[in-house]
Amino acid sequence: MNKTNRVAKQLKDFWDEFKQVKFGIAGIILLLLFIFLVIFEPFLTPFPEASTRWRDITYWEDNPRSVPPVWINWFSQKDYTPTEYIEDLEYTEQNISGPITMLNTVIEYQYDYDIPPVDLIYRGTFKGNFSLNIVLERPDGNKINLVNKSFTSNTEKDFRISLVNESGNNVRSFARRYVKNLPPRVDVNTVLFSQADGELFSNPTPLNGTYKLNINLMKMTEETVIEDTRLVVSGSVSGLLGTDNSKRDVWSGLLAGIKWALFIGLMTSAISVSVGVIYGVVSAYYGGIVDSIMQRIWEIFINIPLLPVLIVLSAIFKPSIWSLILMMSLFFWVGPVKTVRSMALQIKEETYVEAAKALGASHRRIIFRHMIPILIPYSFASMALNVPSAILYEATVSLLGLGDATIVTWGQILHDAMNGGAVTNGLWWWVVPPGIAIALVGMTFAFLGFAMDTILNPKLRTR
Amino acid sequence: MYWRYAVRRILMGVVIYVVIIFIYSALFNTVMDQTLNSQIVEQVNGEMMKMSQVGTDPQYLLEYRQRRISELRQLYHLDDPVLSRIFWRAIDTLTFNYGNSTVMRSFEGETDVLKIVLERIPNTLMLFTTAIIIDILIGVWLGIKKAQKAGRTMDKTTSIITMGVYGLPSWWFGMVMIMLFAFAIPIFPSGGMNSVPPPTTFFGRLFDTLYHMALPIITLVFIGFWGRAYLTRNIVLGNLQEDFIMSARARGIPERTVLYGHALRTSAPPILTMSLLSLLASFSGALVFEGIFSWPGMGNLYWSAVQMNDIPVLLGNLSITTLIYISGIVVLDLIYGFLDPRIKVGGKA
Repeated sequence: MNKTNRVAKQLKDFWDEFKQVKFGIAGIILLLLFIFLVIFEPFLTPFPEASTRWRDITYWEDNPRSVPPVWINWFSQKDYTPTEYIEDLEYTEQNISGPITMLNTVIEYQYDYDIPPVDLIYRGTFKGNFSLNIVLERPDGNKINLVNKSFTSNTEKDFRISLVNESGNNVRSFARRYVKNLPPRVDVNTVLFSQADGELFSNPTPLNGTYKLNINLMKMTEETVIEDTRLVVSGSVSGLLGTDNSKRDVWSGLLAGIKWALFIGLMTSAISVSVGVIYGVVSAYYGGIVDSIMQRIWEIFINIPLLPVLIVLSAIFKPSIWSLILMMSLFFWVGPVKTVRSMALQIKEETYVEAAKALGASHRRIIFRHMIPILIPYSFASMALNVPSAILYEATVSLLGLGDATIVTWGQILHDAMNGGAVTNGLWWWVVPPGIAIALVGMTFAFLGFAMDTILNPKLRTR
Repeated sequence: MYWRYAVRRILMGVVIYVVIIFIYSALFNTVMDQTLNSQIVEQVNGEMMKMSQVGTDPQYLLEYRQRRISELRQLYHLDDPVLSRIFWRAIDTLTFNYGNSTVMRSFEGETDVLKIVLERIPNTLMLFTTAIIIDILIGVWLGIKKAQKAGRTMDKTTSIITMGVYGLPSWWFGMVMIMLFAFAIPIFPSGGMNSVPPPTTFFGRLFDTLYHMALPIITLVFIGFWGRAYLTRNIVLGNLQEDFIMSARARGIPERTVLYGHALRTSAPPILTMSLLSLLASFSGALVFEGIFSWPGMGNLYWSAVQMNDIPVLLGNLSITTLIYISGIVVLDLIYGFLDPRIKVGGKA
């Protein structure tokens, strides 16, 4: 039997045994799920740039602030308006006189909810000179002139009309027709989406039906260009997991965090376990003075409390994700050393190692070709079991605000949640999912690790 | 002989501590130099302010400033070569001479780092020893039950929960618990060690502290005992498969006596060490946990020192944390060596 065949057979045997362990299979399924989520990340989120523009406030400005996920509508009695994007608006064009052209579009918005959206935002890019007029026609026939505004710019620029900010006065005067004494703060969207009666503020009833948003754009010059216009209904619920207090979509952040969690976990455990295994084998193989020195060094490292050191190191040196992985590996390698050493001490006495020595094989060859391969199953088990702690340490360091600011990790989301008062204000959709994600990845690798452990130590299975 | 083993083990702990402090000193040398330097300049500026009010010669003032700065630099060994600085910093740290904080103050308003750290230690120890004792009691009890019924439903479900909890951040669980039991259903305080203002009577204060301890302890125990149970199960199960158990059973000794009298007695030393080792491991993890519950312990000190960028406090806290950690490991080894005579060769479990 040649070598590749032997390895293939060993792998197959291992797999056959592994299949017997149910939670091992569960671990593999979970791992595949995570890999799937990483690969298809851009297609699974409405914000494909979440990963690179997480801290860019302009990227998130159309989202509502701190609102729960859409699916709470299934559980709550009142329906919240979800966020909606109305794009590809088609305009009818009409020349008025000379260079002046009129563009008109009517957006029909079906409102079947109880709690109105947080805002309506009309935006696009333009160059030149135009004026904008938005009239809302409600299902009850009332027409409200919301916005009149003109824009001028010589270069291409964004324009963004938030109805809550721009139409306050017009909405107040509309409300004054029905209610004598207006409260000091008038919630624009409550007025727009409620039945116009005396109880507009004390006890508003939602007015369901089709709302028509009549948008008129008047181009003042022929060179004026208006592009990429869209209407954003910034809902009172948003996304799969709601938004945080910087208007960011939590689901997108969570999805973007998976790859970093896996990367940090796998890198750290692969580096540290490899180092630890080689260290243990070398220490056992040479024995004597080399062994004692190596064991003393190991003892020093095992006596350093890892987390405080990591915190202080990160606080002082402000590390990137790479240096954080390196720092963690620097302390994690101690884990497998003792077990590996005791295993290697046995392997060292095996006849084939003796034979290799007698044949004049080099130390390096004996260590890497004859001793370490035997320890590979054990290494994989301890690598799997190390992944969760690496993720946990990164999350903890990030929680203190010491993470790498160029990426998004779950720990950083939790740090923001902690600082943003998510715990005190009960914004559970911001706190619970990242923690569950950390726990799920941890569980995945715990399943894999414990499954391998069960195979390697058949004694533990049952009585 | 036990005492010789003990002395050797303690000495080894001391040596390791000294080595680690030297490593820290080397690692953080530059940062500490900068902090010290700015502290000196600040101090001298303060002295100058006082002097200049009397109306002294500006030339003399400038001279004084230079002389004073170089004096202080000499005092703190700042002009010495790097190696000697590292050495002196390590010696300072080893003699608990951590210097002064830059921003933070102790509860009484002092700037001495040692005082700031020392007043926090009892709070940390109080929270964690209580949690860990409850944790071990529940964990070992559950572990024995699991070993007794290995492979049955109870064993399996609890094992799966163990794996679920394996990667769970304890501090995250703390956040959720606060959200649930301090804000949604307000039955516990959200943090701190005492109410504001604290009760005046001794018993009032005691109960108030216990009440504030309840939620963090429940959280810590709930996260902790699963792993302990799993470990205990494996150790007890391993022993139950030994020949002496078989012979005990064959002799018709009741199952209860076999379990508690025979299996558990041999399992006790490893269970104890494993538990105490994981106590030490959870010690550093739980430090972050304090920040969540704003428990005024050492972990919370890390948290606030990081936020205020107070390097001397961070390093002083780190040195003391390391000292406590190493002492814990040494004490553990001593207990283990006492319980299991085979382990008097100096290694760790």
